[in-house]
Amino acid sequence: MAGVAVAIPFRSQDADENLLRHLPLARRGGLSLLLLALGTSVLCYGFLQQVLHGHAVTGQGSHGAIWGIIVANIVNFIGISHVGIAISAVVRILRLGRYRQLARLAEFVTLAAITTAVTNIAMDVGHPERFVFNVMWYGRYHAPFVWSCTVITTYVVGSSVYLYLAMRRDLWVCSVKAPVRRRLFQVMALGYRDTPASRRRHNRVVWWLAVIILPIMVSVHSVYGYIFGLQAGRPGWYNPFQAPYFVLGAIVSGFSTVILVLAVLRKAFRWEDTFPPRIFKGLGIFLGFVTLLYMYSLFSEWLTGMYASPEGERAVFRDLLLGRFSLFTWPAVIVGMLLPFALLFLQGVNPRVCSIPLTVVAALLINLGLWTTRALIVVPSFYHPLLPWDVAPYTPTIAEWCIVIGSFFMFALLLLVMVKVFPVLELPEEPEHAPVSSTPSMPLWKRLVIGMSLAGGAALVGLGIAARTSPEIFHPPAIWLSGIVLLLSVPFQICVLPERSRMRMVSRQPVEPHVVGASQASVGRYLVSPSRRVVLKAPLRAIATTVKARQDI
Amino acid sequence: MASSSTRRRFLAGILATASSVASSSRRASATVASPAKRAKWGMVIDLDRCTGCQACVVACRAENNIPVAGAVDTEKGRGIFWMNQLTPLRGTYPDLSQQFIPAPCNHCEDPPCIKVCPVGATSQTEEGITQQIPDRCIGCRLCEVSCPYTRRYFNWSEPQWPSERREQLNPDVAVRPHGVIEKCMFCHHRIRQVKEKARAEGRPLTDADVRRLPACAETCPAEAIVFGDLNDPASEVSRLRESPRAFRLLEELGTHPKVIYLREAKWQE
Repeated sequence: MAGVAVAIPFRSQDADENLLRHLPLARRGGLSLLLLALGTSVLCYGFLQQVLHGHAVTGQGSHGAIWGIIVANIVNFIGISHVGIAISAVVRILRLGRYRQLARLAEFVTLAAITTAVTNIAMDVGHPERFVFNVMWYGRYHAPFVWSCTVITTYVVGSSVYLYLAMRRDLWVCSVKAPVRRRLFQVMALGYRDTPASRRRHNRVVWWLAVIILPIMVSVHSVYGYIFGLQAGRPGWYNPFQAPYFVLGAIVSGFSTVILVLAVLRKAFRWEDTFPPRIFKGLGIFLGFVTLLYMYSLFSEWLTGMYASPEGERAVFRDLLLGRFSLFTWPAVIVGMLLPFALLFLQGVNPRVCSIPLTVVAALLINLGLWTTRALIVVPSFYHPLLPWDVAPYTPTIAEWCIVIGSFFMFALLLLVMVKVFPVLELPEEPEHAPVSSTPSMPLWKRLVIGMSLAGGAALVGLGIAARTSPEIFHPPAIWLSGIVLLLSVPFQICVLPERSRMRMVSRQPVEPHVVGASQASVGRYLVSPSRRVVLKAPLRAIATTVKARQDI
Repeated sequence: MASSSTRRRFLAGILATASSVASSSRRASATVASPAKRAKWGMVIDLDRCTGCQACVVACRAENNIPVAGAVDTEKGRGIFWMNQLTPLRGTYPDLSQQFIPAPCNHCEDPPCIKVCPVGATSQTEEGITQQIPDRCIGCRLCEVSCPYTRRYFNWSEPQWPSERREQLNPDVAVRPHGVIEKCMFCHHRIRQVKEKARAEGRPLTDADVRRLPACAETCPAEAIVFGDLNDPASEVSRLRESPRAFRLLEELGTHPKVIYLREAKWQE
């Protein structure tokens, strides 16, 4: 039993408290929450204007910009959401120990950004109240919007499961050690037992989940590329290159946002030790690299558009590079991409330079530059329809700016709430003394439930796809979405469903002299354990072992 | 292996039965409506006859309860025109020439707008009309974006009419609320009326019944607009589409519009 008791030794206690310092809501935190909520109310104001007076409060028009900066904002936030899980999954799969503490923060960024993006979609469509239900219930398989609904649902559910399972042990530790809200953490840990076997099972499940999530994440932003890239009737968009291009842009804006968020939180919660400057340098090098790739893609797109292509395309790109949009294009490219790239490059190649402010400034510039580039993908195409219609010029109105700026506040607010509610940093684990001989096998009923979920999920997805041509009778998107949710619940079930099997004793380990029950952690461990046998017998047994060990000495 | 294949066959059987039930019920109702071959509605607009008087635009507004946009919204491109006039200018002042091209929805054979609609709010009827169901529409504007002809319109605000025009709203056409897309539907309510009339009289629908059926065609003082069944080789539209003057807008996109224009010199975009 001693193997369990020493999982968190005394010396890590101070470190843990340091890692959990962000949880209590102090005055400064409350003030920031209030401020961000005020900022979010700007978003509500913009939306309210639109509800009261219609979409006419925006600058859009049928013979004008049919989509405006809100769509650019959607693309931007979908892009940001793209990167959180990417960082986390890559860190896990490639075992990049140095960036490990960044992973969960990045996952929070994902969830906050995708929520903001979906809110923005709801605010852009004409009938927000019909939008989710109609797409799921009457969805047509051939519509990019339905693909987007499918991949976003998959992504949100998958990354929530991933986030939860990766965080479960820390929630459990928090239920013992957190300065506040221990009961809440205990509920959220859902009866976690910190045995080496369960730890190993969690790690393994989360690893596989990371492998599955990576392609889903690429698909999310590809679909946004397809929404634009499949429009043959819009010069400037129709482009097979659009999907990878969007994914690349997502990686750029997502990384720069993660750098900004990390810098702010590091300052606010004094995490200087956890995130040394070299982490920023490493992220900066990667950001510079993808920015370079993005600029290369931009160049290639512009060359194709300007060289000798159909007049429709050429009109758009001429307008973008030399015409009325050049006022935005060139600053976005020079100040928003070339300059930060130069900064990051200089920092990357010079071993003596390792500056957080420099990286943050570069990330901020890139973020602004990329947002502008998104707007420049959406708007200029509408100025050049294939037929010579008169086009009303597009000027974003106050309501639109309210929604866009409010979205950033909403994103920050969601992020802050998540940071305050969940442990952000991974709490250290003691390396196991002896390898576990084998993971205890799952009881039959659990295997049955998991097997049925797998089979049921796969069958639902298959049924949904098979019924795709009769959407009015079968409502296929609802079928395949429930299948996907069922499939994604499988890793959750594997880890969370209780096992009433006999607690296998771990092989006896050499025990240091160590008073059981003196550290808060070990007290909590017995209390939260759901098995009565462990609660009653384990302390006795542990004391007996300790006494025996002392006698041996 | 055997069991999986039988299961697959079983599932396929369920689906096939269900779809055949659905389609057979549809087919049954269709045979009642018209015993002859299905019509494929099309329109021919003779640009050499068109005087650019825009009577078709006005008639369409009156017939289909199209709201009045007002000065600001029109400036912003938010006016709704199921039938619009495309007026490209050629040359510079003083050597100017302007063309007038009445532009209803093209009712493409292969419409890009239907493919992108996520909720099936727009679809093609069996008679080839690209229809729009406002109650289903979520207002994402993807169809409007995807239409190469910009022939779809979004309701940017609640529809408004001057009080005297409220009295004149057409009871046959529903008024569309804010936040949905609307478009030309070839005056499908008039097609339905004339079909019912023909059935009541116990005779098939003739070309003379539909030649001037839509509001735009009925109004056109120059008789430049002809409506009819493209599947019927004897109809006037079928005859006119064979004319060497015939062309369609943006033919190279492969959308196969069912609105055919006639002009001596081929129109240049």
